[in-house]
Amino acid sequence: MTTSTLLKDLAKADTQPAWCPGCGNYMLLKTLDKALDAAGLDRTRLVLVSGIGQAAKLPHYTRANVFNGLHGRALPAATAIKLVNHNLEVIITSGDGDMYGEGGNHFIHAVRRNIGVKCFVHNNQVYGLTKGQASPTSELGMITKFQTHGVMSLPFNPLALAIVEGASFVARSFTGAPEHLQAMMTAAIEHKGGFALLDILQPCPSFNHLNTFKWYKDRVKPIADTHDPADRAAALNLAFTWGDEIPIGIYYKSGRASFESQLDVLKAGTLVMRYQGATSPSAPSS
Amino acid sequence: MNVMIRVAGEAGQGVATTGLLLVEAFANLGLHVAATQSYMSRIRGGLNWYDIRIGEGPMYAGADQADLLVAFTSAAREILAGEVRAGGQVLFNGEASNGVIAVDLDGAAQETGGNKLYSNTIAAGAVMELLGYDVAAMEALLGEKFKKKGPETVAANQACARKGAELARPHGGKIQAPKPDGGARREVYAGAGAIGLSAAVSGVKFAASYPMTPGTATFTFLASVADRYGIVVEQAEDEIAAANMICGAVYAGVPAMATTSGGGFALMAEALSLAGMLELPICVLIAQRPGPATGLPTRTAQQDLLFALHAGHGEFPRAIFAPGTVRQCYDVTRRALETAHKFQTPVLILTDQFLQDFEQTIEPLSEDYAPIDRCLAENPGADYARYAVTESGISPRAVPGGKALVIVDSDEHTPQGHLSEDLDSHTAQQDKRMRKLGGMTAEAMPPELYGPADADMLLICWGSTYGPAREAVDLLSARGQSAAMLHFAQVWPIGRTAAATAIGQPKRIICVEGNQTGQFAQVLRAEGLIGDVERLGKYDGLPMTGTWIAERIAK
Repeated sequence: MTTSTLLKDLAKADTQPAWCPGCGNYMLLKTLDKALDAAGLDRTRLVLVSGIGQAAKLPHYTRANVFNGLHGRALPAATAIKLVNHNLEVIITSGDGDMYGEGGNHFIHAVRRNIGVKCFVHNNQVYGLTKGQASPTSELGMITKFQTHGVMSLPFNPLALAIVEGASFVARSFTGAPEHLQAMMTAAIEHKGGFALLDILQPCPSFNHLNTFKWYKDRVKPIADTHDPADRAAALNLAFTWGDEIPIGIYYKSGRASFESQLDVLKAGTLVMRYQGATSPSAPSS
Repeated sequence: MNVMIRVAGEAGQGVATTGLLLVEAFANLGLHVAATQSYMSRIRGGLNWYDIRIGEGPMYAGADQADLLVAFTSAAREILAGEVRAGGQVLFNGEASNGVIAVDLDGAAQETGGNKLYSNTIAAGAVMELLGYDVAAMEALLGEKFKKKGPETVAANQACARKGAELARPHGGKIQAPKPDGGARREVYAGAGAIGLSAAVSGVKFAASYPMTPGTATFTFLASVADRYGIVVEQAEDEIAAANMICGAVYAGVPAMATTSGGGFALMAEALSLAGMLELPICVLIAQRPGPATGLPTRTAQQDLLFALHAGHGEFPRAIFAPGTVRQCYDVTRRALETAHKFQTPVLILTDQFLQDFEQTIEPLSEDYAPIDRCLAENPGADYARYAVTESGISPRAVPGGKALVIVDSDEHTPQGHLSEDLDSHTAQQDKRMRKLGGMTAEAMPPELYGPADADMLLICWGSTYGPAREAVDLLSARGQSAAMLHFAQVWPIGRTAAATAIGQPKRIICVEGNQTGQFAQVLRAEGLIGDVERLGKYDGLPMTGTWIAERIAK
């Protein structure tokens, strides 16, 4: 059956992207494309995994294999995709609500596993798709239509948690510093040692009037060259630095082996390739 | 002829160890064995029992009354004494009293083997003697079992088995147990393991679960064969993760499975809907136990059929299978995986504590790797569209890594898989997805009839009620009553023509199920296959037996 003639042209209104003017996601998408191209990544070997939210729509606006799953559940799906075919590059594009709120438990355990996926979190400290409620990273006291007396829960600290729970690459950047952002994305993509968290600060001009473009711009500061990313204590110190100054760059990097590299069962090749003795016609070539 | 041995005691006393030894020893003698387990949700104390039936032919369920009760504790003796058949015997680990065979199992173990832990072997040896079997069969088994632990452990165990037989000797000859006919040893499988073996052989390459009784046994089996078959087995942080992981795994190209029970499945409901939307062939084993909520964690039930049928928001096709025997656990698991892949939609397998733990001697199950056809598209190119609209509703399925980009979205989407809020596109995709149900219905497994097609009395059942219902039919037939059983190993979708023909027009229809509300009867009624029929439900947490059913419907 088809819908009524009144709505037959609704397809014309199905415009893309579905983001507001001035949204940090535009710069993020552009920069991601640049980083992917610079890395020379064959898009057929790339899987973009996302949950739900404005950030999670990003995979639809570029060329890649896409698994746009459930709210908060990008990581379990991405973990399994990597385990079934570890030759694929698996990148997650998620927001602060999707990854740190609804998906918080998966975030803890994906970090613990140190599964070799890249987790790019668009962190605008507010809910966008549901229109302006507090997110896990919203500032104390932020007033919203839900939090009418202001946010009372302490902001979630994704970088500190990732460092403590064993992620092998932890970085932060800002959509207002596109060159820095591209460098961080490239570093994350090139990281072969396991879970890579890149927390990307971005303004939300529609719903976050506290942490504006200017607010971030005035505060972000590249981490000094003297910082040793292998120094866990120094990395934690940076992770607790938030206020007048917000460090951007690689906080922490360890030599911990990735989850998939430790599985004996994957040493003979990917699961998908070993499914049948003879490969089926449509099986991937890697 | 068959006899039943019931080994009972506290958790941690080795009830299961003794039971397993006996099951294997009897099977090695070439006898037919069927065994069930009853246990409480605790690691120590309580009262657990292990029922082992020995027969001249196959048995399909447990039984109510024991010919021989082995009671490790006073509580076991007192609570279960009433369920000993007239003329039966009780072997009691304690003081002698009216009619029981008192054997100090712990003392004999300490004296003969130097450790109280050998009391299980003493008991096993005593049971062999009381049933008239040569204790040498038990000694041979112990030799195999403890080979790795060294000759001293083997010798101590064998001495304890002989000691047990010696202590029981004065009481032997009372129980008429089936005699071994000198045939070859039989293989024993449990339902949980048969499902796991079938999954491994059929090509499940990824399994994710959060531990939950009684589904855990299948996951444990998969872990035990993971290296052999090349399976990634991951304990997920919760059932939500497990369900989303298997969605990711099948998207990436291999069959994948999760195991759980009702409560865990409740957490998987959203991902089930995701698999319906993304058209992913996931398989979830739901090993049922009584609810609501945590309910009775270690008991059995068939209470989650309607939940399995309706779980997940929105409307999407699914298939639900419910094996009834250990052999069916093996066959139906493969069938479920094949159905999922042919129709690119989730499948559920319903078992329960009774069937997960139920052991039967059956013909050996093949352990040869024979992966199912994943039904992947041939040579998908750059113009590939994951959700191309087709007449059957089945779109060509590709996996990422080849030339085609594979795009899937939990939002409604275009044929290319991209998010779309176009209502025509939504309707086209929704119709496409639901068209698959037609093909699935046409290929549904027909029910199995046991007994005469024109029987006066038809017992309709599904899943693990197969065994008890079948034995009830035998009992009723032996009394001269005209009875048959119709068993559904696939409970959704149902091929109406085949089912209507099989049901026929008996004088009485009784739906026998392990629940209070007649859930399958409701499904059959909604499908227009039965009217307002009689129902027999059991929901106390213990499995049905043939006698239990026969007594209640013989009137």
